[in-house]
This record gives sequence, C-alpha cells and structure tokens, in this order.
Amino acid sequence: MSNAGNPAVTEGLAHSDPAKAPRVRTGRSRAGQVNGMSRGQNILRYVVLSIGALLFLFPFYYMVIGSLQTAPDPTIAGAFPNPANITGQNYVDINSRINLFQGLVNSGIFAGGVILCTVVFGVLVGYALAQLEWRGRGVTFGLMLLVQVIPFQLLMIPLYVMIARDYGLADSYAGMILPFAINSTAVLVFRQYFLQVPKALFDAARIDGAGELKILWSIALPLVRPALLTVVLLTFIGPWNEFLWPFLITKEASLQPLAVSLANYLTNVAGTASNPIGAVLAGACVLAAPMVLLFIIFQRHFVSSDIGSGVKG
Amino acid sequence: MQRSIRPTNTPRRTRRLLAAAATSAAMVVALGACSSGGGDSDSAEGRGDITIWYSNNENEVKWGKAMVDAWNADNPDEQIKAQEIPAGKSSEEVIGAAITAGNAPCLVFNTAPVAVPQFQKQGGLVDLSSFEDGDAYIQERTGDLSEQYQSEDGKFYQMPWKSNPVMLFYNKDLFAAAGLDPENPELATYDEFLATARTLVSAGVSQYAINPAATSEFFQSWFDFYPTYAAETDGSLFIEDGEATFNSDEGVAAGEFWKTIYAENLAGKEKYTGDSFADGLAAMASAGPWAVNVYKDVVNWGAVPFPSSAGTDPASAYTFSDAKNVGMFTACENQATAWDVLKFATSEEQDGQLLELTGQMPLRQDLPEVYPDYFAANPAYEQFGDQASRTVEVPQVPNSVAAWQAFRDAWTKTVISGEGDVADAFDAAADKVNELIAE
Amino acid sequence: MSATVSSGSVTPSSAARPAKPGGGGPRRGRRRRVLGRNPLGLVLSAPYLIFVLLVFAYPLVFAFYMSFHDYFFAAPGAVVDRPFVGLENFQEVLTDPAIIRSFGNVGIFLLINVPLTVVLSLVLATALNKIVRARTFLRVSFYVPYVTASVAVVVVWLFLFSSNGLISQILGPLAPDPAWLINPLLAMPTIAIFVTWKQMGFFILLYLAALQNVSDELYEAAATDGAGKIRMFFSITVPGVRPATVLVLLLATVTGANLFTEPYLLTGGGGPNGASSSPVLIMYQRGIEQGEPGIAAAIGVILVIGVLILAFIQRKLAGGDES
Repeated sequence: MSNAGNPAVTEGLAHSDPAKAPRVRTGRSRAGQVNGMSRGQNILRYVVLSIGALLFLFPFYYMVIGSLQTAPDPTIAGAFPNPANITGQNYVDINSRINLFQGLVNSGIFAGGVILCTVVFGVLVGYALAQLEWRGRGVTFGLMLLVQVIPFQLLMIPLYVMIARDYGLADSYAGMILPFAINSTAVLVFRQYFLQVPKALFDAARIDGAGELKILWSIALPLVRPALLTVVLLTFIGPWNEFLWPFLITKEASLQPLAVSLANYLTNVAGTASNPIGAVLAGACVLAAPMVLLFIIFQRHFVSSDIGSGVKG
Repeated sequence: MQRSIRPTNTPRRTRRLLAAAATSAAMVVALGACSSGGGDSDSAEGRGDITIWYSNNENEVKWGKAMVDAWNADNPDEQIKAQEIPAGKSSEEVIGAAITAGNAPCLVFNTAPVAVPQFQKQGGLVDLSSFEDGDAYIQERTGDLSEQYQSEDGKFYQMPWKSNPVMLFYNKDLFAAAGLDPENPELATYDEFLATARTLVSAGVSQYAINPAATSEFFQSWFDFYPTYAAETDGSLFIEDGEATFNSDEGVAAGEFWKTIYAENLAGKEKYTGDSFADGLAAMASAGPWAVNVYKDVVNWGAVPFPSSAGTDPASAYTFSDAKNVGMFTACENQATAWDVLKFATSEEQDGQLLELTGQMPLRQDLPEVYPDYFAANPAYEQFGDQASRTVEVPQVPNSVAAWQAFRDAWTKTVISGEGDVADAFDAAADKVNELIAE
Repeated sequence: MSATVSSGSVTPSSAARPAKPGGGGPRRGRRRRVLGRNPLGLVLSAPYLIFVLLVFAYPLVFAFYMSFHDYFFAAPGAVVDRPFVGLENFQEVLTDPAIIRSFGNVGIFLLINVPLTVVLSLVLATALNKIVRARTFLRVSFYVPYVTASVAVVVVWLFLFSSNGLISQILGPLAPDPAWLINPLLAMPTIAIFVTWKQMGFFILLYLAALQNVSDELYEAAATDGAGKIRMFFSITVPGVRPATVLVLLLATVTGANLFTEPYLLTGGGGPNGASSSPVLIMYQRGIEQGEPGIAAAIGVILVIGVLILAFIQRKLAGGDES
C-alpha cells in the first residue's frame, strides 16, 4: 500500500509481475474501494489523522502566535488572538540582542559538518556492519551501542578538558563538531537499512566477479537514498538544537550557534525587552523554521525502491 | 531476511567488549602522559596582556566595555581582552570547566560567592591576600562587610564587587485598587504581611500576593527564605562557626511564615516563565536594585524591607546581598597586571560608573556618602544604597552548594508542599548540612 | 501465506525462486582469512572506530575511574588528594533515597513512553504512508515538535499545563489539583506524555523508511485472499518492520533512560519532592553543580549497566534475528 501514483512503484511492479495484467494501481480497482478499503474507512483515517495533526501542531501554533503578540496572554482567548495585538516587534527585539543571522550561519556550519561526517563515514560503517563479515564486527557494534547509552553529562567535563586542552580546539568549529562528528544513531539506522536489503543482491554481484569496493560503490551506495534522507533529517536536529556543548567550548559570541544564543537570552530574561517571552518564542520560531522547511522539501522523496525488483529482474 | 552465518556470539561479544575497553584504557594512559602540567610559579609577578570575562547583562556590558577601553588607553603594554559569558547558573559550569582545562581567564567579573569555595578547592583561585596590599585594599574599600567574604583560612579568594540587596517590591497601583495604602503599606510584621496578602488576593487585583520561584534549584532560597531570615535575626548568616543556624527558633518562625503563605495559596507553587511582578500575576516581588530599571516604566513600584515577626525597622534591617564578585584565576600568567586591573575596576571612579550605568550597589562602605550626587539625582536607589551596608552573604564554607540544596529540598517538601513539620524538617536538614560542611 | 510472511521475509519472491548459488555455497575460495571474509569491513569502519576511540574512550574510562575515587576536578598542577575509595561511591548512591526515587521515576517514564511510542508511531506511520491528499501537511505536523528546540517548546507547554493554563481551563472541574507538573503523582506522567509527543516525529520517520521496504505485493496477495485491514496490519506490516521496531524500542529506551532536558526545563530541578527528577539530572546536580564527579560517575555507571540489561532483555523478547 505505498504511495499511489508513484512512478517508481508502478514501474517496479510492472517488472515483477509480468504474468499479471499490467494494472495501474491508483484508482478504484474494486467497486467503491480505494487502495483496497472502503471509502468510509478512508475518510475516517483522514479525520483521525487530521485531529492528531492538529493536536501535534497546537503547541507549535501557540508558539508562533505567542511570538507575534505584544504581550503574553495565557487565557483561552489568547489562542485566537486579537488582530490588534499582532506585531513583528518581538522579532526585531530578539534580533537586536542576538544576531539571528550569524547564529543561523553558525548553526548551519555546525550541523553541516556533523551531517557530512556522519553521512560519509556512517554509510560505510553501516554497510560493513550489515553485509560484510570481518573480525571485530561484534566489537564495533557493541561500541556503537555503548556510545549511545552513555549520557553526555557524564562525559562533559573530561571531554571538555580533552578537547580544549589536549587537542587545543577551544573556540573553533572543529571543537564544536568533534564530539558529535559521527552520529551513532545514524549508523544504527544505516545498518538496519542495509540489513533489509537482501543479501542475494550482493551475492549475485560477487558471483559475477565484482570486487568488494565495486559492489559498495555501484550497488550499496545508490540503494541507500531513502535512508540517506532519513539520516540527514535526523542528524540535523541534534547539533541544530544543541546548546550545552557549543556553549562550553566557545566563548566568542560570533561563533555561537543560534540555540546557544537563545538559551543565553532566556537565562537573561530579566533584561530590557518589553516582552521577553514573545522575544524568546520569536527566536525559537526562527530556529525551527529551517528544519521544517527542509523536511517539507525532502519528505516527497520517501520513495519506495522496491528492492525486490532488482533481485527478480 | 538474510540468515546470519555468524556463530553464536554472546560469550564472544563479552570478550570483544573487554578487548575494546582494554584498548581504551591504553589510550587513557597515553593521553594522561601527554597532558601538560601545572601553572607557572612566576605568574604572580607577570605583567602583560590579560583576558577577562564579564556577564552579558546589557548594562554590565556597557560598563565593562567602558572600563576596558579606559584601561587600554592608558596601558598599551598591558592590554585587556574581554569576553562575555552568560550570567546565570550555567556560568559556574563554564568557569569550573575552564579551571579544569587550564584556560580560565585572569579575571571573571561575575563570580558567584557560593561557587568560590569550590573553585578554591579546585585550586583555581588566586589568593588575593598574597598581594602586598591585598588585605588592606579590600578591607578599606568594603569595610566590615568584607569579613563575610573571607574564606575559612582567613584569606580572600575573591574581591567583593557589587551587591543587589534584596527588598520587597510592591505594586502601588494594585495596592490602591485593593483598598490598601500605597505609600505606607503594612508589611512590617508577619501578621501585617499576611493580612495585606489576603486582602490583595481576595480583592482579586492579582492572582498571587507574591510569587517567588517555587522550584528546587539550590539558589532559590536566597530570594524567599534568606532575606526573611536575615531580617528576623538581624544579620545572622545561614551557617556560622561551622554550624547550621537556620533550625533556630527564628529560622523556624520564618519557615512557618512562608508555609502559611503557600498553604493559603497566596503564592504560586508552579514555575512561571516570565516576570510575575511585571506581568501583574503578583502584587509583590523579591528583587534588588537591578529591577528598578526593568520595572520603571512597567509597574508603579515601591520597596520596603522584608517583614519579621516583631516588626522591621528600615533603618536597621538586614537582608541578603545577592552579591557578585571578581575572582582571579590561577591560570592567569600575568597576575600583577590582573591585580592592578582589579584595583582599577573597583576604584572610586569605576564604582561610580557602575552605579550610574547599572544601578547595582558596589560593595563599598558608606555608599551614600561617597556618591551623594548620584543618590540625589536618583532617589529611587536611595534606600538600596542605605540597605547595602546591612547585608548577609552566603557562607564561605566547603560544599556550600550541596548545603543549600539540602536546605532547599527540605523547603520544597515541607514549606511549599506542606508535608510534615517545619521544625523537624529544618533539624534534619541542619544535621545533613553540618555533615556536608565538616568535610 | 501468513507463514511465509511472518518469517520476516521482505521479498517472498526470492523464497519462491530456486535457491541461488549464493550465501554459504561455493564462494570465491573458502579462504579462512585471519580478518574474516571481508576485511574491507574493517577498513570501512576504521574512521568511525578512530572517532569513537579518540572522542569517547578517554572520557568514558575516566568516568569509570572517577567512580572509584573521591574525585573532584582541579586546576592543572594543583596538588590535591584523591583517595581511592573502592565501592563507597556506589554504596552511597544505592542508599540515597533521592537517587533511588529518580531511578523509579525513569522506570515510570519508560513504562508510559516506550509502549506508547512504539505503538503510536507505527500506527501513524502506516496511516501516513497510505494517504494521498494533504500528505505534506499531515506528515510535517507530526514532525514539527521533534524539530523545535526543547527550550522553546517548554515555554508553551508550561503555559498550557499551568494551574490556570488552557488544559486545566478546558477540563474545568476535572483538572487535577495541584496542577500537573507540581503534582507528585502526575509530574512524571506529564513529562512522559510531553516527551512522547516531542519524539514521535523521529520514530515515525524511522517507520516510514522501513515501510518502504514492505512490498505491496504482500498486501495485494492478502487482499485477494480476503484479509481485512486489521489482519493485514498485524500479519504483514508488523512483522515486516520488525527490525525497525527493535531499533525504535532500543532508541526509545536509551533516550528515556538518559532523560535530562525535560525535567530540567519543565520542573527546574526535580519537581516537588523529587517527583520528577531523573538520574542524569541528579548526575548533573551532584557532579557539576556540587563538584562531586565521583558520585555522578557512580550513578552513570549504574545507569549504563541498567540500560544495557534492559536492552538485552528487549533483544530476547522482541528481536533475535539479528543483533
């Protein structure tokens, strides 16, 4: 039951069922049924999902509204604001106190560095863990799990000492990126994704005489696209919202990511802003916006690759 | 699903994990050998460029920049580089981490007194008494109050810098709306305070009479319990002579007072992420002179000392100082320069600048006499200038943070949530505190 | 039909075809290499391994070391006494009621959060996978909380859940008193709901990606056989995404056990009488605020061991086809 009308799906199916009459799967193949279920059920599904979506969105909506108001209004009426109360002043306020653009740029560099390292090296490890057999495979997997289990607060100070003193990376982007460089969760996701790829695919190539590197390059990497997008989106969030570590490692305000500036501003709420809560919410909206945009743009690409077709073909 | 060709591996995995751990341990030893050693013993005489940190509070930044510029203009060979760090509890972590890593700056202009014993234990702070004129300078500037800033060994590991004596702010408009006298509010004794509070809430002018933060961070007690306790005991510290004092009759009286307030819902028990006083949620607030600037166009405010059971006389009342001091750190290579900068930054002129720009009270004795023009021009600050000479500080004892946390835990349980007897809870907390500070 | 499906096979077609000469059979020489069949794996993993050893090994082993000493951080070159105290730190940790309470809190949290997360995210992902209209809007709305920084969302949540906030106003007389986050019984469940809501987007994404690999033919075939929607869900979807479920279980448990930001921001230090403190919060308080990293390290070690045990149990119950 995948995305109706998706060309990759229909194409794959055409490949895999030459015996069956080529049937386009979008429409109502059975009387009154869409994708195999009744109209009523379909509508029910939309209703339930929409209610869920509204519930999920509501606090975010409240945040946006709050950022546009001149004074915070905790009553129910505040959720449906008086047009007279709308203002963009909060955005101006917070931008005057912390440089929003610079913060966004730094956040981008930080997150970008992490994504680059994670994607490049994580794919390799994920593939190696899932499809190859080598000595030390179990140890690596164990290490990867262990790394995730350990809370950051336990390691914070020694990590800081090591990176700032021994490696000399204080007040630098490298120092910011280093502890987060390869996201172990992403590696886990890559590995799990590769596990779902049938081994037969690779074995066929080996039988045909392809070298391991060639297999990696020509077969494994192209297959990984859907997982790649998931991983990019997921890896982006960690460094984007992280405020404790960059705060420790950088003192220069010009290097600090937006999350740090925002958290700092929050602790100084007793400042001169006339509506500190509104200003904080404005900053938070700015922080969240690129992520949401990114997701909107890329979520279309969750295509079904229907890997089975490659095996049967 | 692919079938795994691997043999069963649970026992093997354990072995492999151990192997990984062993490799790591080897790395640790290697790294440990690599890390560099201690500080320069000649740094006490060193002169040259220094780095300082100050808080990123807007007005303090203004003062800081002006101070740095003034010094740099006159001292081309000993330049100051200044950086901002956020004020607030996370600044302690940053400083602590910097001490451990050995890259702390020479001076930090927002060192909280509660953290000084810990930094001292870490070996991070320079003993200011070791400078020739160290003791003399500090005692001359701050007077009798400087005693409270001495460590247990009688030395100064911090330079008392500025204080924000905590007073009871009240909203004159809300008081008037509730039918109370806005110019002479009845807030001197516990009974008067409670009656006033009840009137305010039942008149509906604000949801709460007062709304200090009811959360359990260790420092929150400084703004509800400690000023009340200081007023009640005429200036007793939280811990004196190595023993907790808060389980005395006066301490328990203060605890019972607040317990009544919470029990009658005259104060909120939840975290409010704004300023209750500015937002009109509460008619009173516990704040210092830093708030004058914040509230001046928002609330028609007045301020009085905290109440005590017998009645407080504003001319002799004590309160909590909420001071922030300056520390010099051992990582500093040019400590002689740093000491000169410190003296410069706390000179009469610079203290006056601080007063002008931020409204916070330098810890200098006889403030109203030293800066009569300022107080004449800014009468709103007069009572704070006077109050600044009668403050109590957090005691300079080891494990002070843990001690305050132990007290706060007892407070949130018994006073705020109302469970159990105040006297018993305070006794239990006092025992715990005495244990902690005896180490 | 269901037998083939529930074996977890993604591509029934490969089972239908004659066995390929792949897998175990006559491969390119049965060389018993020292480094395993594909030593390339080691090379590919090298950067990651180096990263882990460089960044995590030292702090980790150091933390372990600290848990056995009366330790505190000091300036380089300071001469300090840090005696070895054996298991004293562990003893103190295991007998401190506040710390025991925090572990209990995390238990409550996991009990609420993990099943809710797994079930809801799979159901939502399945539903989101099939819809056509408004797909973007619906998907984005579930993802948005995950993307927003906790710091900001917390402000909104506090507004909504305060004693005169929106939720209590809507509930009217049914609203609990004391209100949610200051109620010793409700504080942790409230945080659990908050975190579930916030993290859902991440797990939905994982399931969405996994669902792409569940072949449509399976559903087709089942529908032809007359299976109902619910039957199809339990017989095709659930087994089909089992590896993802294992992953979701593991990640939800691990992030839940390491809960710090939410109690820290929502209840500022552990709530009424420690009703919403978590072990990592206490680690932070004792280790960084109060300067007792030895105790914090002991808590950390116990926490890590606990989580590993939990993960092991989960593996036994839920997973098992691959580790």
